[in-house]
Amino acid sequence: MIAGMRNRVAYAALVTAALACNEGLQPDTCPGICGTVTFRGALPDSTQAVYVVAYHTFPHSRDSLFTFQPSVGLLRALPLDGVPAFYALPVNTGRYEWVVAVWVKQGFNLSNADSTLREAGYYRDPANPAQPGVVNVSAPQPDSIDFVIDFGQMHRPCTYYAPPCP
Amino acid sequence: MKRLIILTVLAAGLCRTAGAQDTAVIYGTLADTIGQPLRGTVRVDSGGRGVVADGRGHYRLGVPAGRVILRVAHIGFRTLVDTVTVAAGDSLERDYRLPAAAVELQPTIVTAAKRSQLLDRAVTSVALVSDTDLAHRAVATVDEAVNRAPGVLFLNGQVNIRGSSGFVEGLGSRVLLLVDGVPANQGDRGGIDWDMVPLAQVQRVEVVKGAGSSLYGSSAFGGVVNLITHDIPVGSHARVRATGGAYANPPADAWRFRDYTGGLGGLDVTGSYGTQALRGSLTLGGRHSDGYREQDRSDQWETAGKAEWLPQPGTRVSASGAWTSHQYEVFPTWCVPGACDTRGQAFQPFMIDRSGRGSYTRSDHGYIAATLDRTPSARFAWQARGSWLRTHFTDFNPDDWSVSNRLGAELRGVVRRSGGDDRVVTLGVEGAHSDVTSDIFGDRGQVGDHSQVELGAYGEAEQLVGPARLTAGTRLDYFSVDGAKQTAVLSPRIGAVLPTGAGTWRASAGRGFRAPTLAERFVTTRAFGFDVIDNPDLDPETAWSFEVGNALPLASWGRLDAALFWTEARRLLEPTFVLVPPDTVPKIQIRNVSRARLRGLDASLTITPFASPVSASVAYTFVDARDLATDSLLAFRPKHLLTLAADYRWRAVSVGADFRYTSRIDRIELEPVFGHDPRVAARVLDLRAGWQRRSLSARLLVTNALNYIYNLVPRTLEPVRTASVVLTWTY
Repeated sequence: MIAGMRNRVAYAALVTAALACNEGLQPDTCPGICGTVTFRGALPDSTQAVYVVAYHTFPHSRDSLFTFQPSVGLLRALPLDGVPAFYALPVNTGRYEWVVAVWVKQGFNLSNADSTLREAGYYRDPANPAQPGVVNVSAPQPDSIDFVIDFGQMHRPCTYYAPPCP
Repeated sequence: MKRLIILTVLAAGLCRTAGAQDTAVIYGTLADTIGQPLRGTVRVDSGGRGVVADGRGHYRLGVPAGRVILRVAHIGFRTLVDTVTVAAGDSLERDYRLPAAAVELQPTIVTAAKRSQLLDRAVTSVALVSDTDLAHRAVATVDEAVNRAPGVLFLNGQVNIRGSSGFVEGLGSRVLLLVDGVPANQGDRGGIDWDMVPLAQVQRVEVVKGAGSSLYGSSAFGGVVNLITHDIPVGSHARVRATGGAYANPPADAWRFRDYTGGLGGLDVTGSYGTQALRGSLTLGGRHSDGYREQDRSDQWETAGKAEWLPQPGTRVSASGAWTSHQYEVFPTWCVPGACDTRGQAFQPFMIDRSGRGSYTRSDHGYIAATLDRTPSARFAWQARGSWLRTHFTDFNPDDWSVSNRLGAELRGVVRRSGGDDRVVTLGVEGAHSDVTSDIFGDRGQVGDHSQVELGAYGEAEQLVGPARLTAGTRLDYFSVDGAKQTAVLSPRIGAVLPTGAGTWRASAGRGFRAPTLAERFVTTRAFGFDVIDNPDLDPETAWSFEVGNALPLASWGRLDAALFWTEARRLLEPTFVLVPPDTVPKIQIRNVSRARLRGLDASLTITPFASPVSASVAYTFVDARDLATDSLLAFRPKHLLTLAADYRWRAVSVGADFRYTSRIDRIELEPVFGHDPRVAARVLDLRAGWQRRSLSARLLVTNALNYIYNLVPRTLEPVRTASVVLTWTY
């Protein structure tokens, strides 16, 4: 009797364990800002990486250059094989004035950022493509913040400072 | 004259005395475990001598002096293997008690040595999917059946045996498919159409693991799968099988892609009629599926037939054929932001990339084969066969098409010394001509015609040496592509089987190879957003496979089979990114690039307790697959594959379950494109229940009962939970 009960308990435990192990793919909402970037121009030989980052406010000075989101630890370099690439930025809800692709030159460090970083493209206002598009991250999150990265049209960060660099 | 007669008699007496000094006698009784005498057999395992016990279970057997392995057997009882040492002229008493066994009849296989042999005499590992397995699992397609074999894993339709093939979008298979011994890989792509033969025609499946090129030539690089079709019984017989079912809806609202529940259904009818001399069978069937994801509908019509003529004992003429027309929507890849409206999701596994909307394929394929088997005597048998395999597909969006043919022929003879099996020699010649006409095998969209000729000659001998069986053989293959590029490949194999008290040991070393398919050489198309370019100068990929294994009967309740394997592969054909100046965007080209090593363990335990309603099995495969050229993991080879199965039968009712675990695939090809996609281990539970009464049976099958959502190849969702009912009427 007891042995039979043990068997049933073991069986039930086995079934429960089997049922509990469902760790398959789960719905994954866009963690903040998502989209697809397409590439133009030839990738410079001196490329270290290209990242997409987002700024709450437009960085008009060297001091605000590193106020982007997500944090450095969550940055993922874009694949640079020339095909359109999906990106997903795990950022908090809020308003973002600039979603920008940053080209990083080999040898980059914090002290030489002005010469080793470039703006390579940014999300543009659909109504006025000359201007950066503002992204509001809320539920449901935006998932089509698409833009073009043009390696032939890159700009130093100080281009956007006030005043801009010469 | 009298002196001569006396000398002759003396000489004969001396000879007899000398012979007696080299022999001994073993005697005793045979009985079951409660002492009832058994009229079983006792024989020396090395072949020659044996006796049958009398009605009281007594036996007396003359044996060679020295160490002797005895095999004691009686149908319905477990066979005992005993090793004794007996001096010349001496006698030894041995009494044997045989425990009862559910089935002690060893399966006979036909694939491992290209002839009939007992399973335990194969020098390489062989997995079987029996007709009982097929009926229990109520699978609907051949690939579902093969996917249940230990050590076998399907990656989106591409079969892997011990990690052999990886995944290359069906461009070439490192596994050879046979239908009753007739090669059935596509003539153009070298891949396998698993719907070539209706499952209703298949009686059992043999999966030979490891390189089989010494007998089968190209494609048998990682193994051979042989579909054995049903024998046609005498008399009138019929079978009707109807299937209906439904796919589970996506487990999350965010993934819903339609407002109804997808269904599937099918009907196949088989009829046969046979006399002693003439027999025939015909199967007609059709299936429809709504699919479990967006743009995944399919419709299939299939027919297959077989005819046999047995004009005299020892002669059989058979003809068989099948034709399948399969129209199916193509699910290209699942969509990610930018490729469709993902509703805020990072990926939508049930929905397609909008660039593939409207993709659709019509695939018609079939084969006919004719075989003449002659067994003029117990010492000699021969077989001649011819076959024609045709595949034709038309793709819509992107629009392309291909027609290919593969004509094959083989002549094979098997010679047995003295009609026994202590020495068996198999010799044969084989030839094939493949051709393709397609708009993706030409230069930049032009229609291209290509052909390949394959000629092979092979021989393998098996010799009994003491208790061991030694095998040695080789095959020479010659290839010519478009009448120009010519290649010859030699594929030797040696092996040994040694029965002992601790199971039957087997060991083998053999060379495998695979000639590049016409598709790998000449295809020019677009895949994953990249141009695919041709490479006519490809060489065959080759491998050396080594294996040591043991098959151990476990009393009357089970069987344990384990093998260590090691494969060293050279010049593996893999898709590679290449930059062709002045282009700035890389292209995909098949190249001989990789050196690889695949090694691991393949083990299975089958538990079938005598007179018990329960049966179970466990199979585990560990694969350590390394790309030696880049010192990295080989793509698309999961390390662990575990399969558990259990069945319980009570009168007319049976229930059962399968659980399959596939570890997360650590590395994939095109890592820059798909490397950021989520990948998980696969844990799939299948449940089944059946009821049978006379000629009617009903089976309920719930595959992926946990509705575990996973993928094995990039952005391609594996099937969700599917519940189906299969009703079968047999006459």
